[in-house]
Amino acid sequence: MASGHRARVLIRAACLVWLAGCGKPEPVVKIGFAAPLTGDQAPQGQDMLRGAQLAIEHANSQGPILPGIRLELVALDDQRNPTQAVAVAKRLVADPDVVAVVGHLNSSCTMPASAIYHQARLLQITPVSSNPQISRQGFDTFYRTCATDDLQGPAAALFIVKELSAGRVFVLDDMTTYGRGLANELIKKLSALRVEVIGHEGITQGDKDFVPLLTKIKSLRPDLVYFAGMFPEGALLIKQRAEVGLAGYFMGGDGLFDAALIQLATPRAAEGVYLTTIGSDIHQIPTAREFVKAFETRFGSIGAYSAYTYEATSIAVWAVRQAGTKDRSAVLAAIKRLKDYPGLFGLQGFDAKGDSLIRDIGLFTVKAGKFVFLKAASWD
Amino acid sequence: MTPLQLFCQQLANGLTLGAIYALIALGYTMIYGVIQLINFAHGELFMVGAYVALTLVLLSSAGPLPSGIPWWMTLLVCGLGSMAAAGMLGAAIERFAYRPIRHAPRLNALITAIGMSFFLQNALMLLYGATDRHFPNPIPLTRWEVGGVTVTLMQLVVWAASGLLMVGLQLLVMSTKLGMAMRATAQDLKACALLGIPVDRIIATTFVIGSAFAAMGGMLFGLHYGTINFHDGYLMGLKAFTAAVLGGIGNIPGAMVGGLVLGLLEGLGAGYLSSQWKNVFAFLILVVLLLFKPRGLLGERVADRA
Repeated sequence: MASGHRARVLIRAACLVWLAGCGKPEPVVKIGFAAPLTGDQAPQGQDMLRGAQLAIEHANSQGPILPGIRLELVALDDQRNPTQAVAVAKRLVADPDVVAVVGHLNSSCTMPASAIYHQARLLQITPVSSNPQISRQGFDTFYRTCATDDLQGPAAALFIVKELSAGRVFVLDDMTTYGRGLANELIKKLSALRVEVIGHEGITQGDKDFVPLLTKIKSLRPDLVYFAGMFPEGALLIKQRAEVGLAGYFMGGDGLFDAALIQLATPRAAEGVYLTTIGSDIHQIPTAREFVKAFETRFGSIGAYSAYTYEATSIAVWAVRQAGTKDRSAVLAAIKRLKDYPGLFGLQGFDAKGDSLIRDIGLFTVKAGKFVFLKAASWD
Repeated sequence: MTPLQLFCQQLANGLTLGAIYALIALGYTMIYGVIQLINFAHGELFMVGAYVALTLVLLSSAGPLPSGIPWWMTLLVCGLGSMAAAGMLGAAIERFAYRPIRHAPRLNALITAIGMSFFLQNALMLLYGATDRHFPNPIPLTRWEVGGVTVTLMQLVVWAASGLLMVGLQLLVMSTKLGMAMRATAQDLKACALLGIPVDRIIATTFVIGSAFAAMGGMLFGLHYGTINFHDGYLMGLKAFTAAVLGGIGNIPGAMVGGLVLGLLEGLGAGYLSSQWKNVFAFLILVVLLLFKPRGLLGERVADRA
């Protein structure tokens, strides 16, 4: 009787060992990534993804993130569509292996998704969504590694007034959270500087024909047209502006900062366009030299948002290492302790709202078919 | 710029977009005329035309052709090439997707058309990539000032190409034997078959012509705006369908008028009201018009449809 019982226990134990060995997959910890990977904004989304991939590779080369656990990147496509972004966020939240999310690109996607990450106590670091309202929601799960539009808008306004001496400005935006927010910040500062904003209108993302609108703007004779939006529409505006014969300056925000802007608009029409970016030129920063070299040998030329995404992903990895566990709350607690992190843009840190303490705004212009860096400064 | 000059400029702008809408709308209306099917894959045939034209333009500028050929020759070759390709594709879709279910309930064909639209859209994405493609324009940047109104060579090309095609179509439908057969098929498919008219061939021809017109619209669209994307066909198809309904679906002159009117409405709406209300404005006019004229602007001439 006794030996029979012992044999059964042994068989059961063997079964358990077998189950543990074969039924369960290798333990893994995942960092989620979300951005538009298809559609018109895919070039920027893919540049971000490359930044994230490089950060994961660097992290893996420094040894396992947690003892015996492999680090993985899960990249999902939000198609720059807020509805899709929410669906993506829910998928990431539902995966217990995901301990942090890097994303999204568009503020209109980051905004609704941030509520879902907050509810699930999941750390979210957006590399590039710059709308200031997102961090004013009071979510302790939200962080970002770029400057915000309440810095970018006023910086552009100061440049327009002090250096271009433009007196009459027409403002366009793409009616998204990012575009409308940036346009409003710009207009607020322009009005404070007593510059006449002769008009403010929205365009629809995905629209192609802006000739009637630009014809109307031409008849109002502005010194400068400002567009707060992304490069696909920006390129068409710049191209059609040349066809309509609308003279004066053309300026935009970081959404225009992609090589495809110049190609789609044609270099001739894009000549002399100004734009601001939510950080300094990555090529000018000594601390980023190694990263730029690694990125360019691996992928070719570096994108506008690659560095911010590398930074966000590296910080997420840092937080998981600090926490020393896959527990989401422990990761959140760990990132609160981040101070003077040696990042690409200098010593990185976050304020109480989760916004980056590096508040530089860069300024670029287009010369002979290329973006040329003019300067970067903290304008506030 | 005086208000009158501004108005004329906006008319010219609206007519350019309207001419492209009209070219696409013709295909919707012709196909609806012969088999009462709203071909939802039509917007994708427009994109196929645009992408084939892009391929040909890229080949001609970087390929084996001598660089000395004039720009209009390039355009002619690209235009005819993309029309031929889209025409063949249109005929193939009709043969293999719509003909087998022609006698099934009408809803089946409609769902098939939507499925075909998804299929073509995704095929284009896989073939040409998901991002915006730059469409190089061989047309020189020439412009003229006529009484303060600027007209570009590009606009003239759009007007000339669409004008010639529309006049040609009108002649074909009204004064050739094929056109007569098309009109007869539109009136009564069964009676035509009884009288020995090869209705299958007539319907296939209608698809070829409609798809070829959409392809020309696609090429002009690509040239005019300089960028194309695989999903551009959705909105353009929807707008052109609106134009066809506006003019009276099934009516060929109606599609031309509908396209031009929709283009003008959008142009004037964006130019005088507000660009953010452009689409709202165009569709509001459609709703109001259909309330008072449910058959569209020229819809009452049912006997004319082809």
